[in-house]
Amino acid sequence: MKGEQLGEFEELVLLTIAYLYERAYSVAVMEELSQRLERPLSLGAVHRTMQRLEEKGMVLSHLGEATAERGGRRKRLFTVTAAGEQALHDLRRIRHELWTGIPQAAWGGSL
Amino acid sequence: MKREYPSPPDPKDEPGGFPSWAERWLKLLMAPHLREELLGDLQEMFLQRRQQHGSFKARLFYLWQMLLLLHPRLWRREATTTSPSYLSQLNHYPKPAFTTMFQNTFLVAWRKLRRHKSYTLINVLSLSLGMASVILIFTLVKYHLSFDTFHVHKDRIYRITTEFHEDKIRFNTGVPSPLGEAFRQDYPVAEKVARVAFLTKRVVAVSPQKKFEEDVAFAEPAFFDIIHLPLVPGTAPNVFQGRQTALITERLAKKYFGEQTAVGQTIRIDDSLVVSVAGVLQDLPRNTDFRSEIYVPFSHLNEHSPGLVEKDWWYSVNKQMQCFIRLKPGVSAAAVNDLVLSAISRTYYDEKMAQLFRFKLQPLADLHFNPDLGGYTEKKNLWAFAFIGFILIITTCVNFVNLATAQALGRAKEIGIRKILGSQPRTLFWQFIAETTLLTGFALLLASTLAYLILPFVNQLFELQLELNPGQDISLLLFLAVLMLVVIFLAGSYPGLILARFQPIVALKGKLSQKQIGGFSLRKGLVITQFAISQLLIMGTLVIAHQMRYARQADLGFDKEAIVLLPVPDVHKAKSHALGAQFSRVTGVEKVTFCYEAPTSEYSPTTGILFDSRPEAEKFSIVQKFGDQEYVPTFGLKIVAGRNLLPADTIREYLLNESAVRALGFTVNQSVLGKKAVINGHRGTVVGVVKDFHNKSFHAAIDPLCITTLSENYATYGIKVNLKSLATSLPQLQKAWDATYPTAIFTYRFLDEDIARAYQLDTMIQWLIQAFAGIAIFIGCLGLYGLVAFMATQKTKEIGVRKVLGASLGSILWLFYREFLRLLLLAFVVAAPLAWWLMHEWLSNFVYRVELGSRIFVLAILITGGIALITVGYQSLKAALTNPVQSLRSE
Repeated sequence: MKGEQLGEFEELVLLTIAYLYERAYSVAVMEELSQRLERPLSLGAVHRTMQRLEEKGMVLSHLGEATAERGGRRKRLFTVTAAGEQALHDLRRIRHELWTGIPQAAWGGSL
Repeated sequence: MKREYPSPPDPKDEPGGFPSWAERWLKLLMAPHLREELLGDLQEMFLQRRQQHGSFKARLFYLWQMLLLLHPRLWRREATTTSPSYLSQLNHYPKPAFTTMFQNTFLVAWRKLRRHKSYTLINVLSLSLGMASVILIFTLVKYHLSFDTFHVHKDRIYRITTEFHEDKIRFNTGVPSPLGEAFRQDYPVAEKVARVAFLTKRVVAVSPQKKFEEDVAFAEPAFFDIIHLPLVPGTAPNVFQGRQTALITERLAKKYFGEQTAVGQTIRIDDSLVVSVAGVLQDLPRNTDFRSEIYVPFSHLNEHSPGLVEKDWWYSVNKQMQCFIRLKPGVSAAAVNDLVLSAISRTYYDEKMAQLFRFKLQPLADLHFNPDLGGYTEKKNLWAFAFIGFILIITTCVNFVNLATAQALGRAKEIGIRKILGSQPRTLFWQFIAETTLLTGFALLLASTLAYLILPFVNQLFELQLELNPGQDISLLLFLAVLMLVVIFLAGSYPGLILARFQPIVALKGKLSQKQIGGFSLRKGLVITQFAISQLLIMGTLVIAHQMRYARQADLGFDKEAIVLLPVPDVHKAKSHALGAQFSRVTGVEKVTFCYEAPTSEYSPTTGILFDSRPEAEKFSIVQKFGDQEYVPTFGLKIVAGRNLLPADTIREYLLNESAVRALGFTVNQSVLGKKAVINGHRGTVVGVVKDFHNKSFHAAIDPLCITTLSENYATYGIKVNLKSLATSLPQLQKAWDATYPTAIFTYRFLDEDIARAYQLDTMIQWLIQAFAGIAIFIGCLGLYGLVAFMATQKTKEIGVRKVLGASLGSILWLFYREFLRLLLLAFVVAAPLAWWLMHEWLSNFVYRVELGSRIFVLAILITGGIALITVGYQSLKAALTNPVQSLRSE
């Protein structure tokens, strides 16, 4: 099933949600990520990714409190599920194994 | 589920609020469960942006983010947690059969469009581009047509204008000042008669520190009975009756007095006239040519500029002194022209002058559209734009029909099966219309957004204040609806009819060929139309650009670079004369002349001339330019015979231009020198001849003209500066100015900018045609691209067979190109004569113009040919390079 895999951007968003812990909602994630990636992201892209993550069961969401600056509208706050955590750990492990497995010679192409 | 939350502050109350119309759209589009959080997000981001970058950028950002949101996920319904069976869902949502059928039609259409992504993309792109242009054109045309249409009894309102019948007719918006009174007294055909003097750029002082430059109108009270400019509610009704009173608009009241009440405050006009504000007018609507925001009683004109209202002086006409009337019901303008106004000419002039001075009524509706009488543009320009819009819509529809009929072949099997299963042709037709509707609806949404985003730039470019507000503007909404319907039926019905008429058996056997669809020759015709339109627009662009470059670069006969024009308030002659000496001492100033106006100007005084000892006045009238002895060197005019003027304060000597010498019947320049001439009652000697220079724009011929000294008429300093030291010279000029005129405002302009402004309308037309040509070509290319893609799939097998048999790459490419080149040439045959005729018409507006060479036509066909080849190239190359093993395998 394609639903079980994480794309690169999805992984980044999932990580950001974990990083922001209880403050993770679309605008906050977008700003945090665009600062780190040093490129502007669109709300639409982030929002869609978070929706997909939720459909894959990687995150859970609930509506938070309403604030005046949002015109009295509530924000949707996200938390990482156990499955999400597992997926992140798996990816990290695979990356780590690959990194440590790179032979020295691979970097020395210019020698 | 539903929760009450405090309603957001109404954005209309708040300047720079976020675009609420955009929010309304989003609300319509998005699935309900996403609504709250997303709108909240957008608003939160908007407020942050506004704090950092200001409201304009924040709005743009809002719209941009909104566009990026558009994605199927936005309107996808919430996934139901427990999936109910199909039947229980049916029970849950009982629907009448019709809507189910209707929804099904659209569902099928939606799936079709998704399956053919490139087809959908090409169509949506070209449709929305075309529609966006048409929306903008509609807004522009409507804006201009709406000028001064809000006045009560607008059909009976007229302005009296003057026509001078000489060797040709000259027009003037003004009338002799006693005419209004005579009309009122002698002829009871009008309900109201009002004289108004519109004076531009007067200095209005609220306090010694606060000075502004404004247009001031001196009006008789009846003016407000004719022209509908309502007062702010609560202001006394009979203001303007007493003396020393003025009306100003709300905008000015705020600008002058801030939050204080304006009524009762005093303002000083041109350092001489003190008036108190008696009433406040509502802000002027955008669509009026009456731009004055200060109205002063007409009686004050005697104090302010007595020259304008000399009593019983019938022999001078000033364009500022105008007369408006409202006719009694049932009185026709023609009758007034024929009987009343000609009677006035006969009563107040002798027989010869009555021939010269003729008065005509100009309807209010003509004010905006009569360039002869200071109007903005001609109506035919607006119709030209409407026509271009029409053409653009046609090309987009052509695209659509082209692609759809081409695609029809691929759908033959689907149609066949549907028919066998019992579909009526009517249902199939509506199925197709549904697809078109979906496409068009989406394109319309995109087009409106596009138009909305482009509008600020259009406004800035053309100094307009257009608005796009479908929420308030019924006519715009109506237009959009009609546009959508027209496109749907123009584009959708023909392919629909063809699809519906397929013979199911033939279709199912796969034996349907191009010929049977019937679209083939039609499609050829359509491609020719598209090519022809593109070529027409390209030729137009080339000719206009050529002429404009000629106008900009051609030798005008005088220097226009690095000359600063400085108008002087003509109250204290001694002061202004002394100022010139101060100016010439400023570093970086090369030459200074004190004159009436620059060599080129649309409004120079013209008058009769009596030459030498000839007994009668000449048949032509001559343009007068007043300036001191520095006029010729400062503006770089060339003297071809005789010498320059000697310093003098009154008229003693004349310089004639070559046109004047020719008009007097001389060819040898020397022979006019030393002759006497009486011009406008002043006797002088002809001392020199200047080379002809363009004293008007290239639209008009060079007039016979004389230059002479007459210091009482000087009103402008022409200052030739060194551009390198301009930054230091200007403040010094201002310092000298401020010392001489502490109450006046230092306003300067550059001569070359002035001249560029004279060509503003032409430049604007050039820009628009270029933009539209670009769009038309782009739309055409999209269509062509789709068509070739289709052709390539059709010919896959043919190409495969040819390749197997040893055809070369070139010969296969030629297979594609041959077809299109033939169409291109046919289109050229249609477009070239039409373009020649249209451009010939346009160029005949100019007296000095470029020639219509064959180069332009060759260039146009090369450009369209090149673009077509590039467009066709990719697809045909792909088809030609395909391995025949692939293309022939399926057989």
